[in-house]
Amino acid sequence: MMQKPEQPNPPLPGEDDLILVDRVLGGDRRAFESLVRKHERRVFRVALAVLGNSEDAEEVMQDTFVRAFRHLGQFRREARFSTWLTRIAVNEAIERRNTRKNYVPLAEAETSEGMLTPKRYEPWRSNPEELYGKQEIHRIVEEVIRSLPEIYREAFVLRDIEGLSAEEAGEVLGITVPALKSRLLRARLMMRETLADRFEEPPTLRRKLVHAAVDAGTAMAMRLMRAAGW
Amino acid sequence: MKTMDCKEVLANLSCYIDGEGSDELRQALEEHISRCRRCRVVFDSTGKMLKIVTDAAPFEVPLSVSARLYTRLEEILSES
Repeated sequence: MMQKPEQPNPPLPGEDDLILVDRVLGGDRRAFESLVRKHERRVFRVALAVLGNSEDAEEVMQDTFVRAFRHLGQFRREARFSTWLTRIAVNEAIERRNTRKNYVPLAEAETSEGMLTPKRYEPWRSNPEELYGKQEIHRIVEEVIRSLPEIYREAFVLRDIEGLSAEEAGEVLGITVPALKSRLLRARLMMRETLADRFEEPPTLRRKLVHAAVDAGTAMAMRLMRAAGW
Repeated sequence: MKTMDCKEVLANLSCYIDGEGSDELRQALEEHISRCRRCRVVFDSTGKMLKIVTDAAPFEVPLSVSARLYTRLEEILSES
């Protein structure tokens, strides 16, 4: 049986990108296609996160790659290529958003009040696939992400879907790391709260009463349990 | 070990999920969620939410959108 050759120095994340960038700068324009294939999904998602609709995201994705190609010589390699590209995508998307006639910037203070208090305390199912098909879960997830206010949607997509570090996501969005973390926490709690309807275990009367007793510790809950014969 | 209330625990939810923070902080969080049902549910369901979202791989590039991107790039790349 053939053995997989040992790789003493596995490629670092982003190392391939640098090789491709060098090839493009050296005149091999076709190498740019490989960069596009690797990163088109991220650029599209990021544009969608900022803009909220696929039509604008498509145009931003095209403009991002055209701009990246034309300005590739300005890529300084201090950050990863993917971060540099993401920054271009975010800037293009924000520029487009700000030119919308009906665009009203969302003040953080308008949405932050009271958002840190969860209201749903039922445990979630371990296997949501038992209840919904893959396509249905996909649709539900997209719908709920789209419903997030933009500043939370951006933070959530960059960090939790694209896997940027808090530092990278903050830098790309032009905000501090604490601000990014604060938005991310709210985004995660909003997502949890909104998806709870679909993914919580169905509450039984027994569990409801037990939880009421545990949470409140009231004599009333104990009386209800006794009355129910438990 | 410092005892935390629910508000402090919730403020550190991301630290816990992202594996950040000191050992002492994680111990304090674990100690709290082991005895607080509500916080335990919030931590557990937030983890499940993130798994559902990443498994769903939302917002794939539609084939038609991808095709139009390559058509436009073809024009740019073939520019002299």
